[in-house]
Amino acid sequence: MVGFDFSNHNRNLALHARGVPLPQATSTGTTIVGCIFDGGVVIAADTRATSGPIVADKNCEKLHYIAPQIWCAGAGTAADTEFTTALISSNLELHSLSTGRKPRVITCMTMLKQHLFRYQGHIGAYLVVAGVDPTGVGLFTVHAHGSTDKLPYVTMGSGSLAAMSVFETQWKPELTRDEAVKLCANAIQAGIWNDLGSGSNVDVCVITENNSTLLRNYITPNVREKKQRNYRFPRGTTAVLNEKVIKREDISKYVTVHELKDDSETAVAEKMELDA
Amino acid sequence: MASAFMQPGFGEAPGYSFSQAPTVAASGAREHSFYPYTDNGGSTLGITGQDFAILAGDTRSTSGYNINTRYAPKVFRIGSDDESGAGGHIVLAVCGFAADGEALKERLDAMVKMYRYQHGKPMSVKACAQRLATILYQKRFFPYYVHAILGGLDEEGKGALYSYDPVGSYEREQCRAAGAAASLIMPFLDNQVNFKNQFVPGSGVGHFLEAREPLPLPRKDVEELVRDAFSSAVERHIEVGDGLQMMVITKDGVEEIYHPLKRD
Amino acid sequence: MFIARSEYDRGINTFSPEGRLFQVEYSLEAIKLGSTAIGVATGEGVILGVEKRVTSTLLETSSVEKIVEIDRHIGCAMSGLQADARSMIEHARVESQNHAFNYNEPLRVESCTQAICDLALRFGEGADGEESIMSRPFGVALLIAGFDEDGPQLYHAEPSGTFYRYDAKAIGSGSEGAQAELQNEYHKSLTLPEAETLVLKTLKQVMEEKLDAKNVQLASVTKEKGFRIYTDEEMADCVGRLPTN
Repeated sequence: MVGFDFSNHNRNLALHARGVPLPQATSTGTTIVGCIFDGGVVIAADTRATSGPIVADKNCEKLHYIAPQIWCAGAGTAADTEFTTALISSNLELHSLSTGRKPRVITCMTMLKQHLFRYQGHIGAYLVVAGVDPTGVGLFTVHAHGSTDKLPYVTMGSGSLAAMSVFETQWKPELTRDEAVKLCANAIQAGIWNDLGSGSNVDVCVITENNSTLLRNYITPNVREKKQRNYRFPRGTTAVLNEKVIKREDISKYVTVHELKDDSETAVAEKMELDA
Repeated sequence: MASAFMQPGFGEAPGYSFSQAPTVAASGAREHSFYPYTDNGGSTLGITGQDFAILAGDTRSTSGYNINTRYAPKVFRIGSDDESGAGGHIVLAVCGFAADGEALKERLDAMVKMYRYQHGKPMSVKACAQRLATILYQKRFFPYYVHAILGGLDEEGKGALYSYDPVGSYEREQCRAAGAAASLIMPFLDNQVNFKNQFVPGSGVGHFLEAREPLPLPRKDVEELVRDAFSSAVERHIEVGDGLQMMVITKDGVEEIYHPLKRD
Repeated sequence: MFIARSEYDRGINTFSPEGRLFQVEYSLEAIKLGSTAIGVATGEGVILGVEKRVTSTLLETSSVEKIVEIDRHIGCAMSGLQADARSMIEHARVESQNHAFNYNEPLRVESCTQAICDLALRFGEGADGEESIMSRPFGVALLIAGFDEDGPQLYHAEPSGTFYRYDAKAIGSGSEGAQAELQNEYHKSLTLPEAETLVLKTLKQVMEEKLDAKNVQLASVTKEKGFRIYTDEEMADCVGRLPTN
């Protein structure tokens, strides 16, 4: 980089004089946290995805794989966290291949911040990067505008204040693995209960020198309750306005047809994955 | 370059792409404004039966992503002598801006009580419904920011339900959902209370299939529908949760029922 | 009543040492100068009747309005200063319309009477130095007839602001004689035509002029038709049914 580009300075002054406010950074609902312990690092996230006040996904995954020993928790615009982590994951793999060394957390963090800074906050990814590499344990936060922090315990997202309150009252140096997992899970739950942007379950990822474990749905305190009534409609409740029967002989002209053994099983190529 | 923006004929506001409106006027003077309303979220609903009416609401109060309290009632007894609800036979459910809802409830409650002293008879639900409409319309240009639902028993003892917009347009209905999750609950009610989109199996072919006729539901069924409506809304709307408060109005009085809801 | 005048006559809101409000008492006297008005309540409805004092053969009798409508279900007859009655009736009409606007139901007869009596007390200086509209009490009494969920009712409202419900009541110059007659003749099972006859018969006894279809006016309040002033034909029919002599 040769230097900063000031070409918009005069324009921005003129806009400001006409009353245009500075663009505001936004972070949409989520609680993500990270915490180091002796010999590793834990990151955790809730599983609620929202669009406005509506819950879009009750059990989404906010913990993203970067490298075998590096994971990333993402808050902000879902697509941005997903694509940014995937892109950096690819580039880090290529980098690892060309250097013949294990990827480092600080490398990952640097690539992320440079990518995000280039897009001046328009890529709305707020990340917690954690991992273990030959230099030791790493835990960072990366904001959408490109700023980063290196701390022993971190929180991000709309539930960050609720989660941080747990860390600030319960964190101590020299935590064991189990203590760190418990502390992170508690911090996420503070977000789940007290922040409307966060909810449903707790996902945890523990990274140590030897391996990393994703504890998907580590805690599920928000199982949907049973309905009072049965909402099955009798067959024929929906009006059939048009009916056309396609016989097996007709359809065989275009596709191969197999006979299914089991009558009770509906004919689907692949079982659809359902939310819990 | 800057001079182009300063020309008076350039237009009222620059076509900037930021979502926030300017807070600083062209002259450089800072304009302060006070926005008197807040949306406190939550949802209410009401369903009537042959000889009862049920009004319900969740008890969560929110502002933004925060929960103000997990127990802020949105359903109120109107014109009753004390907290037990004795002497009252009208219930008001309000959601939107909680402070306006509270003020509206206090005003209507006072008016219903005054009516009894002045006219020597309890106010009918029909009269109360009209009074509420005039109260709301009196503030046509600084409205009570609420969606109100009024319930009770009419002069014949049948369940009565009236729903309002913030400035007093109202209608008597069989069922109504209001508030944050209204768009989630109302289609469910249309289908399960008024049997919309349901046909009688085997009653005809295609367009000649007979629509399922709606008939007043028994109290138990309605209570179950209300609980299911809210437990479903909680799953998909972040502003609904914590508790469900139900008021059942029958000839014997107003019964209050509380069920906990998910708190996430 | 006609005791020596004193300085307590002038202060509208000033009690005399004997505990009297002279101006209010005098206003009651004004009513006794008025033409006679009678009301009779039956199970079917209420009949109001007034004598129209036709002081000149050149007077257009239809312009003498002593029975007026307040709402579809309430009417009233007056005796005393007619101009005062105008503002009371205007007030009652506004109250009635406001009630219908606010509550989507008709105003009760008692509530209407109460509203009129509230107005009757708004004379004098007014509390806390606020501007008062009326300098003296009204000089008129009203017989308010109406029909609501409690059935047909008749009320008598005075300038003092008090009101009572009656089965049958007479006010005005001939009220003493008329009231005695009503006392004798009234019974609970009167039909509406019987009540019409009773009102006319009583009026006839106390009127100075000879009663005919032109110098009396009847009106009724019933569940079916609400308040209705009798037409000339109906008046002629009712007067025709009176026993001769």
